[in-house]
Amino acid sequence: MPLKILVTAKRVEDSESKIKVDAAGTGIVKEGLKYKINPFDEIGVEEALRLVAKHGGEVVVVSVGTKDVHEQLRHALAMGANKAVWVHHDGPIDQLGIAGCLQKVVEKEKPDLCILGKQAIDDDQGQVGQYLAEWLGWAQATFASKEESLESEAEKAKTPAIQLAADGKSITVIREVDGGLLTVSSPLPAVATTELRLNQPRYASLPGIMKAKSKPIEELTPAGLGVDVGVKLTVTKLAPPPARKAGIKVPDVATLVDKLKNEAKAL
Amino acid sequence: MATDKTTSFVGQLCFGSIEEDLILPYPKMKPAEQETFKSIRSSLEQLLKPHEKDFREWDAKGDFPATFIDELKQFGLFSLIIPEAFGGMGLSATAYSRTLQEVASYDGSVAVTIGAHSSIGMRGLVLFGTDEQKQRFLPKLATGEMIAAFCLTEPGAGSDAASIKTTAVKDGDHWVLNGNKLWITNGGIAQFYTVFAKTGPQGERGNVTAFIVTRDMPGVSTGPHEDKMGLRASNTTTVHFDNVKVPASHVLGEVGKGFKVAMKILNSGRTGLGGGSVGAMKRMIALATKQAKERVQFGKPIAEFGLVKQKLGNMMVDCYVTESAVNLVNHLIDSGHEEYAVEAAITKVYGSEAMWRTIDEALQIAGGNGYMREFPYERALRDCRINRIFEGTNDILRLFIALTAMNEVGSSLKELSQSLKGIFDNPIKGFGVISEYARRRASLATDLIKRDKAGFSKLHPALQKQQVTFEELTRDLATAVDRVLRKHGKNIIGKQFATRRLADIMIQMFVLACTMSRVSTAVQEKGAAGATKELEILEVYDQRVRRIVRANIGQIDENEDELVKSLADFAVDQERYIWDNVD
Repeated sequence: MPLKILVTAKRVEDSESKIKVDAAGTGIVKEGLKYKINPFDEIGVEEALRLVAKHGGEVVVVSVGTKDVHEQLRHALAMGANKAVWVHHDGPIDQLGIAGCLQKVVEKEKPDLCILGKQAIDDDQGQVGQYLAEWLGWAQATFASKEESLESEAEKAKTPAIQLAADGKSITVIREVDGGLLTVSSPLPAVATTELRLNQPRYASLPGIMKAKSKPIEELTPAGLGVDVGVKLTVTKLAPPPARKAGIKVPDVATLVDKLKNEAKAL
Repeated sequence: MATDKTTSFVGQLCFGSIEEDLILPYPKMKPAEQETFKSIRSSLEQLLKPHEKDFREWDAKGDFPATFIDELKQFGLFSLIIPEAFGGMGLSATAYSRTLQEVASYDGSVAVTIGAHSSIGMRGLVLFGTDEQKQRFLPKLATGEMIAAFCLTEPGAGSDAASIKTTAVKDGDHWVLNGNKLWITNGGIAQFYTVFAKTGPQGERGNVTAFIVTRDMPGVSTGPHEDKMGLRASNTTTVHFDNVKVPASHVLGEVGKGFKVAMKILNSGRTGLGGGSVGAMKRMIALATKQAKERVQFGKPIAEFGLVKQKLGNMMVDCYVTESAVNLVNHLIDSGHEEYAVEAAITKVYGSEAMWRTIDEALQIAGGNGYMREFPYERALRDCRINRIFEGTNDILRLFIALTAMNEVGSSLKELSQSLKGIFDNPIKGFGVISEYARRRASLATDLIKRDKAGFSKLHPALQKQQVTFEELTRDLATAVDRVLRKHGKNIIGKQFATRRLADIMIQMFVLACTMSRVSTAVQEKGAAGATKELEILEVYDQRVRRIVRANIGQIDENEDELVKSLADFAVDQERYIWDNVD
């Protein structure tokens, strides 16, 4: 049964960039930063490509933002996604706005399954997948993971972890819960969000990058989709983690035990 | 002289003219290509970063596993410069060089495997191949089904490439090749060889022809993988041709024009090496700054000590100025400029030496750790040493730079003396040549006559001080070239000490001009405040170049060259060092 899968590609700061809080204390200094696709979203793209490789179908990638998000859309296209949708929005936007745009794109594209990162590594809000499922009235299988390790043979063979039922009408997703795994089943259409251990995303090969150049990117706008993207949630303060205090050296084990017991109260 | 596609920036400097339109404004990669490059960069990270530990192991072992070469093929790394129509990426020189920079920042052996394939191995096919040859080979070269190697060097023909002994003899519609090639990068893994062979009497440049030879032709064989100092995982072997029948349709370019083919390939491939140098330097700066911050001695991070700062600051300058020159030469190539051989050679010489200094200093900052194989410094140092030797040794390239750049001044001098002879036969033509050259000379000497292009007109005013220096230095260079040429005439060919001094001046001045272009454009775009650090780099480098140029000019007439030569002759005669403090 061919599947149509919608995935997302949020543009986020590269985790290896040096992040500094700006003068206003509510954002970060953007100069000199490198950007990439949100790693959780990239895992979503990979899972979708594996599902489509196994069952047939197509993968549509969506991103909301300025023209810069073309880089992330092209990245997903170069990995193998078939087409891209760019919701062009230059101003500020929050999770409600993003989920609203995605809802309208889903209603337009009518995918069988949406796979989103469980959160984005920039602000770690982790809300969009849930809003989207709620507003669509679909079931949601969050934090999709798998039993096999990322070094396993199944992973090397690029087998999808999300299982599609033989009749093509439902999926089975393994979720990581505290101390174990929980397997859930959901009818399609559904929303799934990805955990880090779901898969190891492929890299876009150079021929893939060349092919991506001629793949279509459809431009939409929140207004055109009829979505109000007025921001409701605002950042009031952004603070870096406090600098760590320097450690101390202890002369012997006895002192260490003493300090752990009486100063740190760890024993 | 008007700026056209055959104007060499350095050649014109020798006349005292600054062809600023060739270097201003400082070029940027086109937005669409930037997007493609960013995709390549992020994919390369995914491809190469997980192999960081493997690279060390493969260096020790001295080979890449076949599975890794397959991975490179599937990734498409052999397709970089092949036109899109033949299944390649069709990268410009700028994007190609930037990609090699990225690869080199992970591992030198990977960079040279890719670089030997694209920069020289199959570049001849791209530049000189017939449509039929391209159709036949480029798609396979793009997928890596065929890896390419450039076969010029022989046991008796290194820098003296015209003295090759491999022969090709015409036999009906075939050529029969015989001979041995040495130190061929990718030799053992290649299926496509660009081979240079004599097709006429020995010793003459006109008798070399380039051939496409494939691995499947009977009589082609390769020797064992050489045990090298660095770039150990990259495949280097001898390649042997024993009565290899090569179809006449495999001639690359014209019969007898092989030397030109070889030089053109090497000239256009050199910026790839410059790109690689920049990549290695950037990585070293990242490692060294981290080390300087983390390593604590005498109660504080060593980054706080003056002599460590001196090294780090110099690394920044070296990297920035090399990158500026590499980018500018790539831009010349991409914009269809034809005369860039001298400038490309400068990026190779400057880049390879700047890289050596940078890695050496990074190793020094790491101290004892730098000497340990566990850390990346010693491998980087071993890997980079060859860059001062291969694709034209820096010594040969220095002579090439100075002699090529001065060639036009030399011809003007020649023309001057000829026109004097025939001045009564054709007074108008003769007068034209004399007056033009006389005017240039007079203006150099007195600075009273307004010269063409004697100065910059498009630099940002923030660079006023450097502009004045550069114009002065240009006048000094032109005067020195004139003086040296008049003194030695065509004997300049044998005056390597003098030639080298001029080459060093030209190298520094070209790199400085590129740096000025970049900083000027940065100030225009970001304002002086936004480009503070770049202005500081320029300030440092400008002072340095001025001192180097002045010192070299001072040594043109006053030097100890003859004594040094005499000592060398003495050593060669004795074949040893004769003194000892033991009787």
